[in-house]
Amino acid sequence: MGINKTAMDGTLESSDIQITVSKGTDGVQISLESDVKKRFGDDIIATIKEVVKKFGLDNVNIKAVDQGALDCVIRARTITAIQRAMDNSEQPAWEAL
Amino acid sequence: MDIVTREINLDVPDQFEQWKTFLESLGIANFSGDEIDPLDYTIGLFDGDQLVGTGSYSGNILKYIGVSHQHSEDGVYFNKVVSNLLTNLGQHGVFHVFVFTKPMYAKSFEHVGFKELVQSDDAAFLETGDYSITDYLESLPKVNKSENNAGIVMNANPFTDGHRYLIEQASQASDNVYVFVVSTDKSLFTSSERLNLVKAGVSDLKNVMVVPGGDYLVSYATFPSYFLKAQADKVRYQTTIDALIFKDWIAKHLGINVRFLGTEPNSKTTAIYNQILEKILPPQVEVKVIKRDQNDGKVISARTVRQAIKDNQISSIKNIVPKTTYQFIVDHKDDLQERIKKGMKISGN
Repeated sequence: MGINKTAMDGTLESSDIQITVSKGTDGVQISLESDVKKRFGDDIIATIKEVVKKFGLDNVNIKAVDQGALDCVIRARTITAIQRAMDNSEQPAWEAL
Repeated sequence: MDIVTREINLDVPDQFEQWKTFLESLGIANFSGDEIDPLDYTIGLFDGDQLVGTGSYSGNILKYIGVSHQHSEDGVYFNKVVSNLLTNLGQHGVFHVFVFTKPMYAKSFEHVGFKELVQSDDAAFLETGDYSITDYLESLPKVNKSENNAGIVMNANPFTDGHRYLIEQASQASDNVYVFVVSTDKSLFTSSERLNLVKAGVSDLKNVMVVPGGDYLVSYATFPSYFLKAQADKVRYQTTIDALIFKDWIAKHLGINVRFLGTEPNSKTTAIYNQILEKILPPQVEVKVIKRDQNDGKVISARTVRQAIKDNQISSIKNIVPKTTYQFIVDHKDDLQERIKKGMKISGN
């Protein structure tokens, strides 16, 4: 499954993460910008991947700009961005949460 | 810290003055109408009544970003401003965003996810979002990179025999020719009209590919320059950015090794533009200047065509434009004249 439009959630403020989800053609592509990329980059990407998997997305591009967000924030921002991109923020896919 | 974010209405004199005074204190001095009028949205960060940060956008370009350095740590205000602008743009469906800024601020933008495309002595050009120059380059037709490949950039407003002559010269001298038609919609003929007229006018030349310039061959009319000190530097800086993008990204990726330029005896701007391209592009990209085609001793110019449309002298241009362009003008005469009446400028490019 893929998505057809771009959507974003989150901010660039401290302890937050800005997630931009857009249409992909080459699997799940995640780019990450973070001050703590060296230490926590793999963990952040793993968290995002887990959410993407729950939504069953095969082709999607995700741009993540992290300002030191906690795991739960990363998950929440990713979920909202994906739901916006899938046009179902009104009817959340609860089973994916 | 109790910082409030709210929109600034630059049409309200009090708000405009506060905004201008704040930016002036940060060293920004250009508040001319052609820089300010295109701004779509401006936000301010307020500490009480005091303005401590601001940013604007025009289309998909961030402009006039400034934050107070006195009480801000780790770019907190800067991130807040950029974040607010990106979220607002996103609500309008715009996710691919650019910024032109002083080289010293490039790092701050990279920190919030922007990627630098090129940097000159005066300015850096960065982008972020769901689309990048790599996506643009991937969308273009590919040729054998080791062949002799030429590139031409034109606005073609509209396509004339002069443009055709330039493309013919390149077509004869090269294995493949890319013709990039500037996509910026600031001309009498819309970008898709201009692109289609070029395509129609060279459809017999088999080694010519006509492609849109996208966001990356920016006509100098659209580059913001408010952060430069002297207006005199404007054309030079804009052209330098333009030339660097062509050399470092477009020519490199597509294997273009020669750029063809037309002369414009009546335009000082074009003269500077060509001069800077000749300085920056070699040795990776050779520059070939082709003298303008003439008709009865007169230089063929798209401006003449636009003037004739305005003066309702359509038949006078029959022998300086290809049949396809002529037919289009005849068919859309009323519409084009209406656009001129509504204020579309016919001078310039």
